[in-house]
Amino acid sequence: MNAPAMAQAKAATSHVKPTALISGTFVTRDLKRTRRMCEGLLGLECVEPEKGVMLIRERGHRPGEKLAGEPYWVLEACEVAEIAVPQEMLNHWGVFVSSQAAVDAAFDRVNAAQKEFGLGRVQKPRFRHGSYAFYFVDGDSNWWEIEYRTPELVYTSLRQKGDQVDPNAP
Amino acid sequence: MTSLVTPDLLSHGTLECNDTPATRRFLTEFLGIDVIRPLPEAQYLSKGGPWTVVCVRVEGEQKEQGPQNRFKLAVASAAEVDAAHAAAVKHKDAYGIRRVEGVEERGGVRSFRLQDMNKVWWEIANLTQKHYDDAFARGDYKQ
Repeated sequence: MNAPAMAQAKAATSHVKPTALISGTFVTRDLKRTRRMCEGLLGLECVEPEKGVMLIRERGHRPGEKLAGEPYWVLEACEVAEIAVPQEMLNHWGVFVSSQAAVDAAFDRVNAAQKEFGLGRVQKPRFRHGSYAFYFVDGDSNWWEIEYRTPELVYTSLRQKGDQVDPNAP
Repeated sequence: MTSLVTPDLLSHGTLECNDTPATRRFLTEFLGIDVIRPLPEAQYLSKGGPWTVVCVRVEGEQKEQGPQNRFKLAVASAAEVDAAHAAAVKHKDAYGIRRVEGVEERGGVRSFRLQDMNKVWWEIANLTQKHYDDAFARGDYKQ
């Protein structure tokens, strides 16, 4: 099946002509708390370009650091008084770590720091569809996944394989 | 700063759908996103770079999202934002688009938001990576 070529051919004639899927957004009631979690727990780089707004990206952008790839993804967090639409586990943001052992180590550390970072549930790691991962929810109902995938199952490798299931199947 | 976790990559986000073929048609034909289906219950969305959005099939109704939780697509120019907006209005029914908001301009970025058949919000904007590069380079705003 050569579905990636098919999907990209459709994209070339699509109504919108995107250059990149460039960012995602979420909300928090406490930007300082979210920054502390993103930097101190998740190891991400944050900047606040204006009051009430924070941009988040993976590390690797400074001289000498290894960048995972480009274009890179950005999360935009906005501070709000109330969370109008609480999020659920199926609406989460994910990070990759380098090994199964790194997932286990992360779980131990995150679980131990649950109160320090104002987290809700921290679920135990488990295997699912070839990935090994755990989820936790932050103080604003945003869910986060810490995940390891073997090289053949990382998203860029899967793209090379194309559809494994009939795209027209329900 | 030493963090509890040292990730290699901010890797993915997720959204829900309950009609996989119709969702794929919207994503590829309308939004121009590349899509593969590695699993019966999931499609993976991408447009360059290692980042992916995992579209998970759910039974029954998808969760209603608010515009504060959305994905942003970059297009090359303000004119392309306007063209995308006109296309969204014109093809709203054909692709099951629930809502199309008006075009706005803020700080030189022109954009609009739409809510798709899965109750997921998308923003189309004439953003570039440089927009974010510059923001990180400038650092935190001065209080």
